Amino acid sequence: MLNEYFIRRVLYLIPVLIFISFMSFSLIYIAPGDPAEIMMTSPSGGYDEAAVEAFRIAHGLDQPFYIQYFNWLKNAAVGDFGYSYMSEQSVFETVLNAFKNTLKLSVLALAIALVIAIPFGVVSALKHNTIVDDACRFGALLGVSMPNFWQAYLMIIFFSVIVHWLPASGFGHGTDIRYMILPAAVLGTGAAAVMMRMIRSSMLDVMGKEYIQTARGKGLSEKIVIIRHALKNALVPVITVIGLSIGFLLNGSVVVETIFGWSGIGNLVVDSILSHDYMMVQGSVLFVAVIFLLINFFVDLVYVWANPEIRYDKTS
Amino acid sequence: MALRTKLSFACTAVFFIAVVICSGCVQTEDSEEKVLRVALTTGPDTGGSLDPSISWEGWPMRRTGIYETLFSYDENMNLQPELATGYKQLNDTEWEIQLRRDVTFHDGTIMDADAVIYSINRVLDPSNSRSSEYSFIKNVYKTDDYTIVVETNESYAPTILMFTDTIMSIVSPDTENLDTEPVGTGAYKFVSFEPGASIELVKNPDYWGEAPKIDRIIIQYSKDAAARTLLLKSGDVDITRDVLQSEYATFEADPGTNIVSKETLRTYFMYINEGKAPFDDVRVRQALNYAIDRQEIVDTALEGVAGSPAVGIFPDIMPWSANDKIEAYEYNSEKALELFAEAGIKQGSDSRLYYNGEPFTIEIQTYTKQAAHQPMAEVIAAQFEKIGITTTIKIAEANSISADAVAGNYGLALYSWGVAPVGDPDYFVSSHFLSTGTYASTWLRYSNPQVDEWILEARAETDKEKRTKLYDMIQEQVQNDAVLVCIAYKKEIDGLSPNLKGFEIYPNEYTFITKEMELA
Repeated sequence: MLNEYFIRRVLYLIPVLIFISFMSFSLIYIAPGDPAEIMMTSPSGGYDEAAVEAFRIAHGLDQPFYIQYFNWLKNAAVGDFGYSYMSEQSVFETVLNAFKNTLKLSVLALAIALVIAIPFGVVSALKHNTIVDDACRFGALLGVSMPNFWQAYLMIIFFSVIVHWLPASGFGHGTDIRYMILPAAVLGTGAAAVMMRMIRSSMLDVMGKEYIQTARGKGLSEKIVIIRHALKNALVPVITVIGLSIGFLLNGSVVVETIFGWSGIGNLVVDSILSHDYMMVQGSVLFVAVIFLLINFFVDLVYVWANPEIRYDKTS
Repeated sequence: MALRTKLSFACTAVFFIAVVICSGCVQTEDSEEKVLRVALTTGPDTGGSLDPSISWEGWPMRRTGIYETLFSYDENMNLQPELATGYKQLNDTEWEIQLRRDVTFHDGTIMDADAVIYSINRVLDPSNSRSSEYSFIKNVYKTDDYTIVVETNESYAPTILMFTDTIMSIVSPDTENLDTEPVGTGAYKFVSFEPGASIELVKNPDYWGEAPKIDRIIIQYSKDAAARTLLLKSGDVDITRDVLQSEYATFEADPGTNIVSKETLRTYFMYINEGKAPFDDVRVRQALNYAIDRQEIVDTALEGVAGSPAVGIFPDIMPWSANDKIEAYEYNSEKALELFAEAGIKQGSDSRLYYNGEPFTIEIQTYTKQAAHQPMAEVIAAQFEKIGITTTIKIAEANSISADAVAGNYGLALYSWGVAPVGDPDYFVSSHFLSTGTYASTWLRYSNPQVDEWILEARAETDKEKRTKLYDMIQEQVQNDAVLVCIAYKKEIDGLSPNLKGFEIYPNEYTFITKEMELA
């Protein structure tokens, strides 16, 4: 059953991806500006018409739109995503590299988000309508409404400029955890706020269910009731939120990456769009789309695992 | 339950404490080694190649101190031999360049005529996207191991200066992959690169000149001005380029930081669309020039620190600037109104200006990649409004403005240019004031046969005195024709730790790390 479902989902991916690639290609094509001119504009400020024209011909940019798109599609179908106009480097390698960096931040950010969201969500629900609950909800409100860049600057000012615990920004070869903590904390706290509210309401819902009374009635300790019975069931609807958060985290945050000088996928996508680097835009957008689709798929699978009431079969 | 609450709080606390402790133990630095930490704005393009002869990657590469060119400019824009020792013009079309002996590349290869010709040919190759800039070269050959001759198609005065361009960086001919493993002759050697994030260098112990004084350099790239400023404040870097102009006073007052600033070769100016009435009337263009108060723009939009008021297109620091010979458009609103009136733009009873019975309106287009553009445009708009011109500002991406400009669909466009990347006036003058130049023909729609003649003559004139005279005349004429509205010359502002000595701002914007830099 599951195999069939899996194959069906994978087959669905193909038209979706073709559609996405066509959309991104046409949008960037319609947007004002000429990639050849952008690439051939010197940092001094100017471009030379002859050089722009030569670039256009060399990269097939003088061809009509549909030919350019089909050429790209044809190559992409066999796994050749071409080379960046800007840096002349392989699109696939560049995207993969940026993704690796984003992945590192995302894992840490997710860990931070869960470490904050789960305990506070549970406590908030258990202490429903007390001052503790209010404090938790206020924290969540703050977390959701505080803009990322603002939070980032505040954290840099406190942790780097005032107490000197962590570097203000930088990449640290991508391995030094000190450089990851602040950006991951900024990303993680934002995600935590949403998750916490979700866990709270889900917990409230579950705590009122009969099986919790039953569990209590069996004489189980409150700890076991909350963790094994309540939390496990409460987390099912939260999976969607977590899945979505992972999706957003993995697609990188331009603001956080820019402020912390982290060279992730968010910056790559924006840079390549701004410079009309068609090849890089196509490659990175497609990559981001695949990640999103895979996560959705994975979330669906986790659903089945977490809640036996949900089944994927032919009739569903 | 209280216990559980405590537990979860405890877990969180433990997590953060662990992280903080960790941060302490990763710090393992050799205290003997002198490490310079630098924050720059942009590195090689995202996912970039490190090859200096690909498009303009030479700029970020030159800043690292890995590569050198045959000739270069010092911090006061004096031309100096670098990997060359001198040159001689043999005749109208042949230039002999003598090379420095005893220079080796970082990989041990000897830098000689073959290596230099190899490097030059990489640029001349038709597949190089910038080869057309060097189409004036007919042939390059060596006469001995340390002498080359550059033969040009016709007499071309900027020949030698064209070798100061970073695309002409001399690279080792024996390297496998210059995209990822740069090998030059500079004071600092390449160690590693994280695309878009950082680059690491060590000193070149075999450097041909005065020995570099810093052991290791770590450059990190940060596009965000506030983040760069905080890096310096937290002490994470020793020097940061382009700090926020609003922080100038704070840094100046702080004994823990030094702040330096200097005029660069970047000029802020406005294009005027002469193809569109009434801008085709020279009196209108002159009036626009008189209508803006450059000092006020500098004092407000640049906060008095990030620039100085402009006269002509070339900043004073540019050796070919004729600013001391040409007349500046001093702010004079009465004169502006007079000239407008002569051109048929008259004040109505509401003291607004009217052209052909319609309110006289101007749209200023600009882009925000240079942070000063938008505030500048706002101040200019306010100044225009003051004398009764209805002014709007359109912020767009540079390439969308360019599309509008080429289509003739604009009035004024506020831009900034590094006006002389190789220190020669021909670059800007030919593109903007020669009728066939890209910007003269498609943006400004400016054409003056007399100016054309002078430009072509100056390009071929190799006698420096005669050439200077020609460029003086050109600058004077375009000033009188009011082809552009020159606004200000940009000052670069860098913040550094007092421990860093020997740092100089180079007006060309692409020399940064030099062997003279030293950590106390």
